[in-house]
Amino acid sequence: MTTTIQADNRTATFKRNNLRRIAWLALLLLVISALILVLMPAWLIQPFRPQTPSALVRSYALRHWSPIVTLVFAVTAFLLCGWLWRGARWWRKTALVCALALVCGAAWLARQNHFEWMFHPLPNPAYARAREANFVGDSDMVLTVRVNGEAVAYPIRQMAYHHVIADTVGGVPLVATY
Amino acid sequence: MWATTVNGQQLHFHLTGINNQNFIMRDEETGSWWQQVTGAAILGPLKGARLQPILQDELTLATWRQEQPDGRVLRPDPRIQQAGLYESADWETRMQSVRVATTDTDKTTKQRTLVAGLDINGAAQAYPMDLLSAQSPINDSVGGTPVLLVVDSDRRSVRAFERTIDGRAVEFFLQADATPLRLTDAATGSVWDFTGHAMSGPLVGRQLKQLPILNDYWFDWHSYHPNTTLYNAGAH
Repeated sequence: MTTTIQADNRTATFKRNNLRRIAWLALLLLVISALILVLMPAWLIQPFRPQTPSALVRSYALRHWSPIVTLVFAVTAFLLCGWLWRGARWWRKTALVCALALVCGAAWLARQNHFEWMFHPLPNPAYARAREANFVGDSDMVLTVRVNGEAVAYPIRQMAYHHVIADTVGGVPLVATY
Repeated sequence: MWATTVNGQQLHFHLTGINNQNFIMRDEETGSWWQQVTGAAILGPLKGARLQPILQDELTLATWRQEQPDGRVLRPDPRIQQAGLYESADWETRMQSVRVATTDTDKTTKQRTLVAGLDINGAAQAYPMDLLSAQSPINDSVGGTPVLLVVDSDRRSVRAFERTIDGRAVEFFLQADATPLRLTDAATGSVWDFTGHAMSGPLVGRQLKQLPILNDYWFDWHSYHPNTTLYNAGAH
């Protein structure tokens, strides 16, 4: 009688340990996939590397889907960590925190535009009158446009940093790019 | 310079990536990716759409200010300026030593040669800047269209025009030692300024049709205009 109960307990513990192992493995896979999802496009569209059309297609797909996919991953990782937390030793708990941080970090990165970290956009550009534009040298190049009688100059040295400036000139919404 | 209204919807663009050293923009509204140099949507819901180009110039401030004294000029952002992130005055010289990363490996001329590119209904020709400065004005023909390329007296601002008057191709010459720059046409001897406007002579008041040019590096121009020719002084 006692032997049977012990055997049953052993089977239950064995099953539970197995499940825990699977949960750990799943968590590891989540972390790796989440990192690949967000780091792969950044790797493929590095400024000083050539790009192929298929690399662009992959980058676009990853950038497009990674916000929702990493969010699902983060929620799943939370549930797994919650379940694995109880009874875990301190070093396993540390591993759980790290895994969760990585998946959440990936979910955050998927919502960031690191190109705009490097080159800050200018959402509210300010302008000076042509006569008062003493911040540009006479021989400096400017990108210029004239629409319906309104003329605007975008100094190249500023454009080479911001790259994209939205404006409305002569009533026409446009984007100056460089 | 692109109009941002596509199919009646106004789009807002962000820098989002790079494709062989030309940047990609993403619009907030549809998430589509657009190539900066061509204005074409390359990926996403609007793939295949094209932004409508708006004629732009690349001029020295002095030349532009003379033409447009009432214009407005984009101010530098104080934070970016304080951080020293804007390009320095000699940045174009420095760019010459920056490595080129592209899948296009044309070796017709040095990859970082600065060119003024003309694309007339798919017929493309690039004019190296140093040749342009040396020979301006250049009376040429691209894809059957008679064209005129002029470098201003500042030696840096370039414009291109269709040199057709009343259906006839006309040649233009530079008036020696005129500042600001003045051109004369061979047909009537009328005097023209750098904006392509006839200031005096029989054609006074006439306006040449300006053609869009792209100031670019040869490698970038060539990647997006693979059939382009390169203007060669020796052949003309």
